[in-house]
Order: sequence, then structure tokens, then C-alpha cells
Amino acid sequence: MFTPLLDALFLFVLTTPLVGLMGQRVKREKTVVAAYITFAFIFPLMLIPMFYSEVLWKNGVLVACVSSSPPEAVCLEVNALSVFMALIFLVIGFMACLFSVREVELGSITGYYTVLLGMITAMIGVVFSGDLFTLFIFWEAMCICSYTLVAFKKELWESIESGYKYLIMSSAGSITILFALSFLYGLTGTLNISYLSMSLAGAERNPMTYMALLMLIVGFGLQAGMVPFHTWLPDAHMAAPSSISAVLSGIVVKAGVFGLFMVLLTIFASLYESWYIILAAFAVLTMFVGNLSALLQDDIKRLLAYSTIANTGYILLGLAIGSHRALTGSLFHVLNHAVVKALLFLCAGAFIHKTRTRSLKELAGIRRVMPVTGTIFIIGTLSLASIPPLNIFWGELTIITAGVEAGMPLLSFLMTINLVFSAAYCLRMIQMIAIKEETSTSKKAREVSIPMLIPILALGFFSVLIGVHPSPFQAFAEAVAEVALNLTSEV
Amino acid sequence: MACSVILFFIGLYCLVVKRNMIRLLIALEIMMNAVNLNFIALSSYVVEGAVHPLAHVFTVLSIGISGCIIALGLVITLYAYRHYGTLDVRELRRLEH
Repeated sequence: MFTPLLDALFLFVLTTPLVGLMGQRVKREKTVVAAYITFAFIFPLMLIPMFYSEVLWKNGVLVACVSSSPPEAVCLEVNALSVFMALIFLVIGFMACLFSVREVELGSITGYYTVLLGMITAMIGVVFSGDLFTLFIFWEAMCICSYTLVAFKKELWESIESGYKYLIMSSAGSITILFALSFLYGLTGTLNISYLSMSLAGAERNPMTYMALLMLIVGFGLQAGMVPFHTWLPDAHMAAPSSISAVLSGIVVKAGVFGLFMVLLTIFASLYESWYIILAAFAVLTMFVGNLSALLQDDIKRLLAYSTIANTGYILLGLAIGSHRALTGSLFHVLNHAVVKALLFLCAGAFIHKTRTRSLKELAGIRRVMPVTGTIFIIGTLSLASIPPLNIFWGELTIITAGVEAGMPLLSFLMTINLVFSAAYCLRMIQMIAIKEETSTSKKAREVSIPMLIPILALGFFSVLIGVHPSPFQAFAEAVAEVALNLTSEV
Repeated sequence: MACSVILFFIGLYCLVVKRNMIRLLIALEIMMNAVNLNFIALSSYVVEGAVHPLAHVFTVLSIGISGCIIALGLVITLYAYRHYGTLDVRELRRLEH
């Protein structure tokens, strides 16, 4: 019905509860469901290369319409950008699933895995959709799953409180998106992305267009953690289970960024002059607030959450600069940040699992009792501080040089200042984790078990691999940026 | 259409001002209805004199989606009530900033 990849994922989501039921019958629910979920991720991951070659073979766009022909039909459009994002989503989701096998201690885990897999599926639906209303439906499915996961530990007050806050803010954001969609529909009579961009490029400027543009920036920016609307993000990341924080920070926020890419680069590509200043202002504000608040935190997950906000700022800055090089940097940074932030949240989750505290002061010196996790955490933190041979450095370097090239040195300068701030809190984290004396809490910890170490080691390996050998990944990001820039001209 | 814009801002106003958790959900519902109304109102511009069926599809689906959101919101509200014994959002301030 949809593309093979989405079909397979839908099938897995629907059958997971059944498998859980069968697992309960044979009294091995956890093992059965975990094995099934692992298979459910590995199978689509193997489909992706095949799928990508099919997309390339069909001139870069694969269209799958459900019923009638385009301007009015509901359809999926898959291009290189979608495949790039889908790959990131699947890898990070898989790692988080592996990690949560041990982390989440619940009576019944079937519900948890079903919702998590459903969220990943909905996100892939978001990046695959070819018209805005399909995008919106998948978007809401993703949001509803992520509210559920944030509020999943329903016996703790903090997860309920942050889940409620997240629900109210994020649904207000999605309703804003829908309102903007209704204006776009009124202007053009369609919501198909390619037709929208054509008819908006030809039409005269209308106040309704600008209103829709602003509302879409606000709505998608809310999910991406853009600054005036970022307040849900630290709470939600703090209260959710650590593997869910990794998913939220690594990919749900990136879905918001993808929404902005999609809307600004295709539909409003002809209005570049009117949106880049707004977006650059938001981006600069986002990174300053994110970095400065991160400097003040003692809670390890809150600190990482604020650093996520700052990194969203860098990505949006790349989008605001808008040249091919800047977009390459942005997309490359999306990949790098997803890997590194998932890694850091999973390491933090391992620390929290063993010590039951999130305070950096109490976690001091934990590297000596948990050598493997501690060392990988330090690698991740160094990468976050953009130290050269690790991965985040390359994406940021590309964005900064692109800013200078495009004649916006001020933006590059502001971003460089921010990198200094981020290095400051990263070094503070390293000092706390590695150099300080152990406290009574951290002495009691032990190294985590193998199922938790596998995703941590794998992500650490990716981080170093992309760092020392960035060219193939950068080339992929460059190709994707090329496609993203030319989306409109293909129709 | 003017009507729907007014309705949207009433919803937004409620969202900012009201302090009861259930009223916040009602505010979301008002905003959602404003959007649905807007779709139907604008569809008659697209096709002269008749309502475009595409807008109907959008509206029906978005009513369903808003139902899901509100249901989940009520579940969370229920748990919050069990934890705090109140529906006042000002009491939900235990998280530091």
C-alpha cells in the first residue's frame, strides 16, 4: 500500500502486541519481544540500501500514490533526503531499543516497545510523505507516541508533569502547523508539496502567505526546540527513561528540523529573502540560550538537553545561510549530533541505572568504577566540545566556513563564540566524571551488563569512525543537500 | 474565515490565561475546531459555490486526530490528579528551571 519499508514497519508495529501475548503464554515475554523488536529493526535497515538504489534509479524521486493522480491525491514521495533521515532514525532507534532491554524495568514491556516502534515508524512516515496533510497525520502519530513515552513512568510525578507540559505545548504547535496548512490550502487548493511550491512561486505576495510561513516556522520550531518555545525540552528529556531521552534528542527533535527543511527549502524556496533573517535570529538566540543555560546545570540529563537546544541552533543557522555548503554542514551535523547525543544519553542512562542519581556532583569520579562506559562518555563529550578528530567538528567546521563564504561572517563569528561556551561545559563534565575523587554514591556502582554496553560501544565506534574518516559520510550529506536544494526544480 | 481566526485566538488566549488542566485541553479543542472551520470556509474559495471534497477529508481526519490528543491529555490529567490532588497547573511547578 505504502512503500515496502513503511509497510514492513507497520506490520511489525501491529504484530508486536500479538507476539507479546504469545510470549506471556510461554512465560518468556521479555526475551521473545526483545528478539522480535531486534528483528523488526534489522530487517528495514537491510531494506534501506536496496531502497536507496531504487530511488536513485528513478531519477531521485519515488512516488507512491494511494488513489487518484497528484494535485489532489494523498501520496508518498521518497527522495535522497528522506532516505538519509530514515537511516538515522532507524539506527538511533535500534540502539535505544537494545539499550532499553535492561534499562526499563516494567512488569509488561510489550506496550513500551510497541509505542517506541510506532514512533520510529511514524517518523519515517513524516520524512517519506509527499503532501503536507500526510505529513501532518504521521507527525501527530509521532507526537502522540512520544507524549506516551515521556509520561511512561506514570507512578513518578516528574514524568507526569513534564508529559503534560510537553503535550500542551507540542499540540499547540501542531495545531499551529495545521492552521498554516489550511491557509496554504485556501491559497492554492492543494497540499501536495511540489504543486504548492510551483503555485506559490508564481503567485503574487499575499499577507496570508507570510502568516502561513511564520506559523509553520513556529510550529516546526517548537518540536525542534527553537528558543522561545523550548521550555518543554529539558523537562521532557529529564523525566523520560534514558533510552527515550536518546531517541527524543537524537531524532524527534531532528524530525522538527526536517519539517523546517522541507517547508522552507521547497514550498517557500521562492521567498528566501523574507525568511532567512527571521530564521537566523531564532538560530542565534537558540544557541546562546542553550549554551548559557547548559553552563549552569548540575543535572546531567538537563545539561545534555540544553546542549541539544544549542545544537539545533547550529543546524538552523546552516539552513538560514542556505548555500549548498551550509546545507551540507547542517545535514552532516544532523547525523553527527544524533549519534553523539544518543551516545551521551545512553551513557548517562547507564550511570543513572547504577547509581540512581542524576546529579553531576554525586556522579563525580565514576569513570574509575565504570571504566568502559566512562571512557566512551569522555569520547562523546570531547566530540560535543568539537575537538578535531571526532565527528561533530567536521559538521560545525562546514557550517562556519559556509557562513564566511556566503558573506555572513557575523553569523559564523557568533557560532564560534558559542563553540567556546559548549567546550566550557563539556570540559566541566569531563572533569567531574573523570578527574574528581569518587563520592560515596559513585563508589557503589559497577560496570553495566553486555546488552547495555553494545549500543554504547557501537555509537562510540561510529563517532570515532566518522571523525577520522569523514569523507564518505560528508559526500553522502553533500549529495543529499544537492537534492534538497533542487527539490522544486524537479517537478 | 474571520470567524475561525477569532476562534483560534480565543483558544490561544485560553491556553495562556487559564489555570485548570481540563480547561487547557478545551482550549486546544477550540483551536482545533477553528482550523477545521477554516478548512471548510477556504474550500469554497477553491471551487466556486461548492465545498471541495478534499477539505472534507482533511477535516474528518483532523477531528479524529484531535480526539486522540484530548484522550491522551485526559489520561495524563487523571494521573496528575492522583499525584497532586488538584487540577491547578500552578501546582505543577516542582521541576526546577
